[in-house]
Amino acid sequence: MVKILSFFLLLSLSLGASEFDKNCFDCHSQDFKFHIIMNKYTLKFSSEKRIKEAMFNYLREPSLDKSILPLEYIQKFGLKEKSPLDDKTLREMIDIYYEKFNLQSKLF
Amino acid sequence: MYRGEKKTIFYVLGLYLSSTLLLITTIFVSYYYYERDQFEHSEKDLLKKQTFLLTQQLSKLNENSSDRYKYPRFDEFESAIYDIDKNLIFSTSKDIDITNSKDSFFTKDSNSYLISPLTPYYFGAAFIIIEKKSKNLDILNNLIFIAIVTIIITLITSIFLVNLVLKPMRDNIKLLDSFIKDTTHELNTPITAILTNIETINSSSCDEKTLRKLQRIKIASQSISNIYEDLVYLLLNHKTSTQNIDLNLREMLYQRVEYFTNMATAKNIDLLLDAKEDIDFKADKKKMQRLIDNLLSNAIKYSYKSTNIRVVLNETTLCIEDEGKGMSEQEVKKIFTRYLRFDKSQGGFGMGYSIIKAIADEYEIKIDIVSKETQGTKVTLSW
Repeated sequence: MVKILSFFLLLSLSLGASEFDKNCFDCHSQDFKFHIIMNKYTLKFSSEKRIKEAMFNYLREPSLDKSILPLEYIQKFGLKEKSPLDDKTLREMIDIYYEKFNLQSKLF
Repeated sequence: MYRGEKKTIFYVLGLYLSSTLLLITTIFVSYYYYERDQFEHSEKDLLKKQTFLLTQQLSKLNENSSDRYKYPRFDEFESAIYDIDKNLIFSTSKDIDITNSKDSFFTKDSNSYLISPLTPYYFGAAFIIIEKKSKNLDILNNLIFIAIVTIIITLITSIFLVNLVLKPMRDNIKLLDSFIKDTTHELNTPITAILTNIETINSSSCDEKTLRKLQRIKIASQSISNIYEDLVYLLLNHKTSTQNIDLNLREMLYQRVEYFTNMATAKNIDLLLDAKEDIDFKADKKKMQRLIDNLLSNAIKYSYKSTNIRVVLNETTLCIEDEGKGMSEQEVKKIFTRYLRFDKSQGGFGMGYSIIKAIADEYEIKIDIVSKETQGTKVTLSW
């Protein structure tokens, strides 16, 4: 029973991870500094709930005031385009992103 | 110690001690709270410094990019960080919990805690909480000890003070007391001389006018004699030995009624004695005489002219009923207070009922007083 459950868990994680690769690495290259973005969100929004909500709001409707990046950076590269993902998928991707890169779970 | 002196000492001591205690308590409580505030202040300062240390370390840690971050630990204190929604991020102690704490500084189980807000949120930490062992505020035991010593010193000084204040009063009372004793003693011989000589005067050799005058002198002397006996009882009450013997109350009543007949006749009062049986009662003769004399003299004193006084003796009761001015209910309640006289127009010192009460109490005799104003008073002694 335990073996079956572990198998399904690994399967869902690998599936989730592949989904993340497909949906995120399409635009962001492998060397994109995901952890820096997470650090900036953590420094500004503190809790998991608020970080995820802020990310979702930005990706859904990107705007200058919602962005956590410096103004100079935005002026140089411009604002990110609106995410083509549906709400459900976008939230799932944010969950995976938070799971992979959040700073709090790295404390020991 | 004089009557009432103990009461005065207790009142003065009570007042002095309670006011001193109040003052000491106020000073000590204020001092305790002041020290506690100071202590809290120094504890807070220390905790603030430790919070600053931790913040610096977290800031440094946040600058590095790594897969794992070692949370800063210190020997002097424990710490924890919480996110903005008060969810625990990391803690070095199991005891730290800020979910129910309202104040930024608090103490619990001999630990001091300080909650400080943090921005920016390193590792998501919006609140830093520092826990350290509290120093003990040891002044309470010392304060209690000093308070007890102060109270004892105050008690001793207050007793000394009360004695100092009461000394002149005590000396005056002593002087007055010895004066009354000496005067009373000196009264004995002339009163006895007057009464004995009146008795020996041959009434047949006097005309009616002189006889009336003699009668008045006799009544006045008897009144003085009564006051003298009361004074002797009050002054020597506790110093004379009591000799309880079997008394024939009927016989004694006949003697006392006869003794007061002259006084009653002067006001045209009939003393009606109803004592058919011999009643034995074990008591001191002089004391019982004082009891009966005071009841009879009061009845005569407060009776209207040309009325009757009924004296009825039964096996367990003695009842003396007059037709006089009577007393109100309130007056009856206060009747046993010494030197209290409701009717100042009558002579006397207001000692009568207090003597009656003292003797009655000594022999467990119950006193019932029923009185109606303008109608009369009925005193019943039952044993």
